[in-house]
Amino acid sequence: MKRWTKVMTGAAAIALATAGCAGSGGTDTGGDTAEGGDRTLTVWLMDGSAPEPLTDALHSEFEQAHDGVTIKYEVQPWNGIQDKLTTALASQNPPDVIELGNTQAPSFAAEGVLTDLSGDVDSLNGDQWLDSLKASGEWDGKQFSTPFYAANREVIYRTDMFEQAGITAPPTSRQEWLDAIAKLDAKFGSDPQFQPLYLPGQNWYALLSFIWDEGGDIATKDGTTFTAALTTEEAKAGLEFYKQLVDVSGTTAPKDNDEQNPVQAGVFGQGKVAMMIGLPWEVATATEDAPDLKDKISAFPIPSKNAGETAPVFQGGSNLAIPVNSANADLAKEYLKLLLSEKYQTMLAEAGMVPGASTDLSPLEANPVSKAMAEAAKNGRAVPATPAWAAIEAGQNPLKDMLTAYLTGAKSLDQATADANAALDAAFSSGA
Amino acid sequence: MTTTAQVTVPAGTTPPAPPRAGRPRRAGLGERTIPYLLLAPAVVTILVLLGWPALQVVGISFRRLDLGELVRGEVVWIGLDNYRAVLSDPEVWTVVLRTVVFTAAVVAATVLLGLLLAILMRHLAAGVRTAVQVCLVLAWATPILATTTVFQWIFDQQYGILNKTLVKLGFDSFAGFSWFSSGASTMTVIGLLIVWQAVPFVCFTIYAGLLTAPRELYEAASMDGASPWQAFTTVSWPSIRPLVMLATFLSVIWDFKVFAQVWAIRQGGPDGGSTTLPVLLYLKGIASRHFGLASAIAVLMILVLLVLTARYLQLLLRSKEGDLS
Repeated sequence: MKRWTKVMTGAAAIALATAGCAGSGGTDTGGDTAEGGDRTLTVWLMDGSAPEPLTDALHSEFEQAHDGVTIKYEVQPWNGIQDKLTTALASQNPPDVIELGNTQAPSFAAEGVLTDLSGDVDSLNGDQWLDSLKASGEWDGKQFSTPFYAANREVIYRTDMFEQAGITAPPTSRQEWLDAIAKLDAKFGSDPQFQPLYLPGQNWYALLSFIWDEGGDIATKDGTTFTAALTTEEAKAGLEFYKQLVDVSGTTAPKDNDEQNPVQAGVFGQGKVAMMIGLPWEVATATEDAPDLKDKISAFPIPSKNAGETAPVFQGGSNLAIPVNSANADLAKEYLKLLLSEKYQTMLAEAGMVPGASTDLSPLEANPVSKAMAEAAKNGRAVPATPAWAAIEAGQNPLKDMLTAYLTGAKSLDQATADANAALDAAFSSGA
Repeated sequence: MTTTAQVTVPAGTTPPAPPRAGRPRRAGLGERTIPYLLLAPAVVTILVLLGWPALQVVGISFRRLDLGELVRGEVVWIGLDNYRAVLSDPEVWTVVLRTVVFTAAVVAATVLLGLLLAILMRHLAAGVRTAVQVCLVLAWATPILATTTVFQWIFDQQYGILNKTLVKLGFDSFAGFSWFSSGASTMTVIGLLIVWQAVPFVCFTIYAGLLTAPRELYEAASMDGASPWQAFTTVSWPSIRPLVMLATFLSVIWDFKVFAQVWAIRQGGPDGGSTTLPVLLYLKGIASRHFGLASAIAVLMILVLLVLTARYLQLLLRSKEGDLS
């Protein structure tokens, strides 16, 4: 019967991952709640979020203020974090403070595995919170996670190429943007490898900007239920503009992949690309192998169809939360209070992020690349705050399929949007 | 039971019944338990590490177990609701059908190619054969995801060597052709990738079987005027039949539950067009955290696999020695 066991192996492996921790949730009364004794506060922040000088200062200040408390600080990689959090939250000793991607936050909140922070919003600097992140931390009228920091996409460009092509100021409308592409193409187009704009087919974050700029949205909200809205004229217009950009720029980026495959910053760094739609820190990746480009890169907000405005942008970012099983929720709240205070939020901004609990973006203006992000951040938006969204991002994103199908001509505009609309609706209804 | 001679009969007790002819006398308690004691560690390990989780999967498939229940440690029995949800979803049936067709195609291609290569190896000169064997071992030994990455680049829309070669050969329509824009062509690429990785094992297995057929038999066959095809069917086939069966059976299991390659290529896309059962299980269970629903799919997978491999299991159970010839 050995073959039998082989048949079962696949299922058993999954069972180990899921069932293995099923029995352990229990109603244990965490070991270290003792008042007065030494306590340990476990903090999980994500890789690349809070810079080290910030956490060093924060943790020494916190430990000095709280006698007998030690902070166990662990930096977690993004890759596979959903699975890791699932296991950690179900354990007897979950971390006391966790960082959640803002698009994942609603799914954790809806499952009731996070501490309700509704009563603490004011003491956590609540009047300074970034709207889009505040919204992603809400579920069913309660606040389950607080904003931490955000970032949004912008158009990163080569100043030297713009100069040579005779573009004097960064575009401030879609028309100027298209004109700039034409000018760049006229100047450098003789090089077959040159691309005025590198735009892969599945950069759905850029698509969101265009749809919002048209006045559309990917879904409409009614209470806690969402209905996909991709078949609206506005959404279709956003998609058409995306195609126009791809066609006009003649980008050779794959139509069936996103900005990570291949890593667009690497392509940009090869010096044959004048613009890309990306996050500020992609500049660092681009100049890693091409340090001579460092002084030749700047950025402008994604232009709107209305001259002089900036297009709305998807605000990606992180929230902070306290697992419901945490034995040190009181300390964890103190910790959040300190981290969300002006001092540390300013440090976040100085490190080039949009602070989640400070409306003061002036520290970002020192650098032209972060300045452009700060400018667009005022018009930041979020994806539907539904528990279903985490699964859409972790699995099969209908927006990506829609883009590829439309751009490659596999489907008509109507067909592509209708299919994606149905897929989104199916995900919304099954995810909760 | 060859220890009869050593068995001592204690004196003073009731005399044992005279042993009947052909029936070995009973061994002592200790001796009878020793084999079981020796087997125990392995059996216990298998039961703890495989049997118990497998039972858990069946149990969980009757529960609602999302992240909330998991964290709070709640046990919520919902009877057959998970199965009802799975079986009433038309998408699931599409996926089951796709997985079965995909498995059948990939297994058939793998075994056929492996068989042909094995026969070819028999007829190659020693030097060339070694070269072929080295290539096969390399294809086999390359980490799964490394090969997957290589395949992704081969079929890349812009930079892929396949499109470039096709254009050079005059097929201009392949310039910028996207191999991953439809489910069918995505599945084809994934199928090729899996065949590529699976052929070496099957080939070596069958080749080992071919080597057991004595040369004299081939000589005798050719002296009798047998055609190459007749020589194959009468001499080679009997010696490799059990191994081909074994390779087919193992391939069915492996290819049915293959996940890494399918996921890495397009996460089951586009439009869910390359979603197989393991991918569906991951999407429902891990990405959406409906562990109960995922367990129901896992049970369904086991049942489908049982149907697919029923014939082999039947043969296996019928022949005590596991000899399938």
